[in-house]
Amino acid sequence: MNTEQISTKRVSTHNIRTKHISVKRYLPDNPAEPYWQPYELPVDDSTSLLDALNHIKEQLDSTLSYRWSCRMAICGSCGVMVNGIPKLGCKTFLRDYEGEIRIEPLAHFPVQRDLVVDMEIFLEHLAAVKPYLIDDNPVKAFDPNAPETYQQSPAQLERYKQFANCINCGLCYSACPQFGLNQEFLGPAALTLAHRYNLDSRDHGKKQRMAELNRHEGVWSCTFVGFCSQVCPKNVDPAAAVNQGKVEAAKHTLIALFKG
Amino acid sequence: MSKPSMDRLSMNKQAAQHKQAFDEPLWWGLFSAGGVCFAVILPAVILFIAILLPLGLLPAEALSYERASALLFSVPGFLFVGAVVCLPLFHAAHRLRHGLFDISVGNDALNKKLMYGGAALLSVLALGLVIAGMLG
Repeated sequence: MNTEQISTKRVSTHNIRTKHISVKRYLPDNPAEPYWQPYELPVDDSTSLLDALNHIKEQLDSTLSYRWSCRMAICGSCGVMVNGIPKLGCKTFLRDYEGEIRIEPLAHFPVQRDLVVDMEIFLEHLAAVKPYLIDDNPVKAFDPNAPETYQQSPAQLERYKQFANCINCGLCYSACPQFGLNQEFLGPAALTLAHRYNLDSRDHGKKQRMAELNRHEGVWSCTFVGFCSQVCPKNVDPAAAVNQGKVEAAKHTLIALFKG
Repeated sequence: MSKPSMDRLSMNKQAAQHKQAFDEPLWWGLFSAGGVCFAVILPAVILFIAILLPLGLLPAEALSYERASALLFSVPGFLFVGAVVCLPLFHAAHRLRHGLFDISVGNDALNKKLMYGGAALLSVLALGLVIAGMLG
């Protein structure tokens, strides 16, 4: 194998070419309808969509608005629709796309400007399920002479660990057709975090959360489409969490029936 | 979304807050049980009754009138009808109800009554026929 063959298989920063990106623009000061704006920019194999947006902002058009922060799929702010699929800009590479790339703001959220959406309703749903430890009393009463930390076995950690990787990017809400139909649906991420805390051995707030989960707009609005789990950039698998939540909600209802 | 619809949303939210969905676990339970029957039992039933029997690959008297009615009009027959007719009916009703919601046809409260009501009616009919056969 000669060196040229090797370099084409690797991510190359020499392989510079031009790509076309269309961005759906919406400027609230300008009462016109949203419109598509094409941009043409140089990219190489390492160019992420976020790099491309930064290039547009810095070199081509300073009026473009979008959110970003960490560049490494941790902050969850750069979610956009790429050819109709919700993606993180920093985790999407232009080398994977042929032809024109169409960038839109995240679906199912009100657009504030260009690629910036209003995530208020998502944050409300998140707060509603109390995604934090409730009554997490330490194993023993606090003794200043021998302070003891929380104890959790690896097996207890394993129960919820996968569901704890959520970065609140909201991609699953854009992917969820049920959230699109009914914004009151608590939605994948909120239900997943509720399940994550319900599974945590340190937590005692399950009863409070079940009252939220066992509503029509809780777990029961989910029809197990599963697209949320496909688009999740952290492999959290919200569809599994929500459907395990259905089992929990069914158990909760049965117990409530017998207890009266 | 426009501002007025956001306001309406938050108003709805207060009204609907903490209203527990006591019926949903029942529908979901029936849906799940029906799904298992659909996937596990129905293919076998179709294989024997709709393929092997008409092709003459089973002994002719395997489901003769006397044998079939003796099998059906019994407690195992009653359970068989429950697993092959009733539970799959509720499974289908659940899918239809959510499918209608997905394509915004009718309203969910009415669709629920029609779909689950229909499944219940047909189930009672099917099980009633078995009981009538057992008594008769």
